[in-house]
Amino acid sequence: MTHLTVRRLTYVSAAATLGALALMVASLVSPKPVLLVFAMSVGQGLGTLSLATFLLAIALDLQSGGAMVDQVEEEVAEIKSAMHLPDEPAPEQSERTRDTTAHE
Amino acid sequence: MIHVDSLEELLRLVALVAAGISALIIVWYLVRRPPLGRLTKTLLLFGLGIMPGLVALSGNIAGYEYTLKREFCGSCHVMGAYVRDAENPKSKSLAAIHSRNHRFGGDSCYTCHADYQMFGALTTKLNGLKHLYFYVTEYASTGPDGEGGPTIHLYKPFKNDTCMQCHSTGAPRWAGVEEHQSMLEDIRKGEMSCIGCHSEVHPTALAHRPKAQAKAEERKP
Repeated sequence: MTHLTVRRLTYVSAAATLGALALMVASLVSPKPVLLVFAMSVGQGLGTLSLATFLLAIALDLQSGGAMVDQVEEEVAEIKSAMHLPDEPAPEQSERTRDTTAHE
Repeated sequence: MIHVDSLEELLRLVALVAAGISALIIVWYLVRRPPLGRLTKTLLLFGLGIMPGLVALSGNIAGYEYTLKREFCGSCHVMGAYVRDAENPKSKSLAAIHSRNHRFGGDSCYTCHADYQMFGALTTKLNGLKHLYFYVTEYASTGPDGEGGPTIHLYKPFKNDTCMQCHSTGAPRWAGVEEHQSMLEDIRKGEMSCIGCHSEVHPTALAHRPKAQAKAEERKP
């Protein structure tokens, strides 16, 4: 659930930022009074809101313990197993193995 | 080759480049939809936060710089006659003479009409918003130069302080004028207005509005 919310919030934020950028660029390319005022108020307001949305998404993601990263790792593992790729040994395990060999 | 001649152009270029980078990052994210790992989050922070912030900051300053120019004031059709007169090399109106000054001629509207006080730039820009409101509500569809609209007037009397930014009233040539000598204190106190005598400020522009012209005639002794 959190995963979906974070993704949706990030997409909304990205789309809103594109809109805000379009307004600000329009006022730079054609600096007419109405467009300038519109870009400086609506454009920048939209940009600020979209940044706030992105930060909210990141906060939610961090609160859920980086659930998204875990999910991605799971997805990668699934893809690897579907492609019959061997799992790489975890770094801790290999170190431990190396230690044992040295003692012997 | 890109030529950057002024701070305004440089800031505009910075804003456009930042907007381009930001748009590239966002489009990449929306099209590829990568997992939200550390790298993606950092890139998105640039694309959604830092770069748009730079666009807003440099764009605001560039926009503010542009609003000082006569070209900007002339972009509202009701100012057409005023700007044409100011830019006419043969005109002897006060506006045209001042607009030919190479030091501030390009910003002549702002230089003479901005409030000369501590927060002058702020109050002037707030008045600019008022202009925009009246432009949209009262002067839309009023003819090529706004002839059909109400008479254009200043919100408050024109202060001598604005003229005295340059004409300090202390220069020998200025002080040599007999009328100036006799009214020196009144001029400095603002009790005698400069434009009371130097009234040919925007003559052509007034002639375009019958109502305004009638008022100007009334004022003449």
